[in-house]
Amino acid sequence: MLDLHGYGPRLLEGAGVTIQLAVLSLILAIVLGLLTASAKMSRSWLLHKVATLYTTVIRGVPDLVLMMLLFFGGQMALNVLTDIIYDRYGVDWYVNLNAFAAGVLTIGFIFGAYMGETFRGAFMAVDHGQIEAGKAYGMTPWLVFRRIRFPLMMRHALPGLSNNWMVLLKTTALVSVIGLTDMVRVAAEASRATHEPFTFLLPVAAIYLLIASISEWLFAYLQKRYNVGFGEH
Amino acid sequence: MEWFNALLADNRIFTPDTLGYYWEGLVTTTQLVFLSLLVGLVLAVPLSILRGSKHKWIKLPIYTYTYVFRGTPLLIQLYIIYYGVVFFDGIQETFLWPMLREAFYPALIAFTLNTAAYTTEIFHGAIKSTARGEIEAARAYGMSPGLTMRRIILPSAFRRALPAYGNEVIFMLHASAIASVVTLMDITGAARFVYARYYAPFEAFLFAAAIYLCLTFAILFFFRHLEKRLLAHLRPQSG
Amino acid sequence: MADTPIPLEVRNIKKRFGDTEVLKGLSLQARKGDVITLIGASGSGKSTFLRCMNLLEQPDDGDLIVHGEAVQFKQTRHGREPADWKQVVRMRAKLSMVFQSFNLWAHMTLLENVIEAPIHVLGKPKKEAIEQGRALLERVGLTARADAYPAQMSGGQQQRGAIARALAMDPEVMLFDEPTSALDPELVGDVLKVMHGLADEGRTMVVVTHEMGFARDVSSQVIYLHQGVVEEAGPPQDVLVNPTSPRLQQFLAPKY
Repeated sequence: MLDLHGYGPRLLEGAGVTIQLAVLSLILAIVLGLLTASAKMSRSWLLHKVATLYTTVIRGVPDLVLMMLLFFGGQMALNVLTDIIYDRYGVDWYVNLNAFAAGVLTIGFIFGAYMGETFRGAFMAVDHGQIEAGKAYGMTPWLVFRRIRFPLMMRHALPGLSNNWMVLLKTTALVSVIGLTDMVRVAAEASRATHEPFTFLLPVAAIYLLIASISEWLFAYLQKRYNVGFGEH
Repeated sequence: MEWFNALLADNRIFTPDTLGYYWEGLVTTTQLVFLSLLVGLVLAVPLSILRGSKHKWIKLPIYTYTYVFRGTPLLIQLYIIYYGVVFFDGIQETFLWPMLREAFYPALIAFTLNTAAYTTEIFHGAIKSTARGEIEAARAYGMSPGLTMRRIILPSAFRRALPAYGNEVIFMLHASAIASVVTLMDITGAARFVYARYYAPFEAFLFAAAIYLCLTFAILFFFRHLEKRLLAHLRPQSG
Repeated sequence: MADTPIPLEVRNIKKRFGDTEVLKGLSLQARKGDVITLIGASGSGKSTFLRCMNLLEQPDDGDLIVHGEAVQFKQTRHGREPADWKQVVRMRAKLSMVFQSFNLWAHMTLLENVIEAPIHVLGKPKKEAIEQGRALLERVGLTARADAYPAQMSGGQQQRGAIARALAMDPEVMLFDEPTSALDPELVGDVLKVMHGLADEGRTMVVVTHEMGFARDVSSQVIYLHQGVVEEAGPPQDVLVNPTSPRLQQFLAPKY
């Protein structure tokens, strides 16, 4: 049997952190991605430029560097802010940037850029005639989006979404570097302390594979659902 | 622009000293990424061909390898190799030990195995999507399976794989940032050092980000150019 | 009769794409029970004219009056636009369009397509909408295909389904944009038969079509467009049987 030297519970907790982090980041990334895609397709020149800058810069810089910039830089910005508040209003208020929140924000922010590209492509692949039919029957723009554009878009977006999720899942490992106690950090600590790296790192690798396999299966199911009405004769 | 002027006027961070760190970091990053991509590419070509083999005992181990390396974080792979290399019996006595003791070679091994796995799948997908008609035509002209692979399938598959491989190169450049986690002084390592020394997160990491951005654009430009030359036959002719 | 507002009236519609003026001031009045057919060569502007009637295209000039209510416009940076999109939504619910390429929503079954807008736009109770939807599908001969997805149906079935979808809105006016042009010849008949029935029961319709037989048999008025202007208009026996304009004579001449 695997002897985890008492690290078992902490490793399990770390796995919980990894999953929560990944799921919350995914939700944020999807919201940001939808906003980015809308901005890129909007008629506003400014929105378009801002969205393009966002996706270009994010996709041109390593995740880890962005993470450190936002985490360490964000802490400094917060410190400056709290100093100002203290000087002006005399309120002694100190915020320590929560590593978990910082992780969610950074990963969500990074993958929002990738999701934006995925969604934009998927929105453009939707048959325009079906959108027009919605408009022609007196649907409001929001109703057209909710009932027609979004479900039709999802069919095209799912493969990209699934791919982004797999990459995002692996990216969560990086938060261990900025001090969040996810399962990678627990495993690395335990490896150093016990000099038994394989005992801890291999099971963690296996958990990642397990989550990836479950997600793959889940996405195949979703793809089937959103593919309803397509390609069958 | 005010902050930028202030930055230049009161520049205690970007001294020749720190710029030297960034330069060394750039060299390390380039070496790591270039070498791992090169070796990974050399490994991936035969692996991608064997990956499509009919024999279960050839394709299954390769698939397992790519599945595991693509399904787990590179950081874990790096840790396993970096911390685990010590445990190979007798390795400390071999001539390899002085190299492996340093972080550079474990990182290089991890990156190489990782990119080889991704590249194998990219090439495998491209080989699989070769038009059946082209293969049949080659057979009809009496080409052997080996000759068909070498003359017909691979040249067209590699060209079609080019955009995806370009993405892999950029992905590898970005992934290499984790080398700094095992104490390597790559670009990110230099930034972490400058951050720790001056407590200047914005300057330290933004400068590193700018370097990566430039490298990314250079790679993008290179592959665009290559695609234009090698994929000209796939574009519809105008007029 | 004189007291009920006219279902659809357009006056002096103008539209340009870039440098080309495709509609040069077109007017039309559809009274209750009118069947107006728009004919003309491709590029004559007939489809654009129809699409201006429910504002899928924004006319650069002219008035649009639906059931006595004039649509308000305003000038913006992007050109002339409706001042109040809520009004447009309200007005579109009174006109329902049948498209050349059917445009059934691919992710919904046929019945779901038919009940979608009545439930979400008109606010009809679901049960009632389903009952009405089934009745309409029976009417167009598609009872058996209620749970099929558009991709599983032939073009003719899709178009008849689209007509049922349009009828479910209980519209003031039905707009048809070349409803049979995308169909295989052997499927055209079924669709025309359904449209014929609608005309017979007194539906107000504006139809862009190439089917001269249909135009002759059911229209109360035929409008022949050429390069964005009305070249000739009137009852079918005048316009189609005794055309005065040489261009229309040529347009109607047998091609073989």
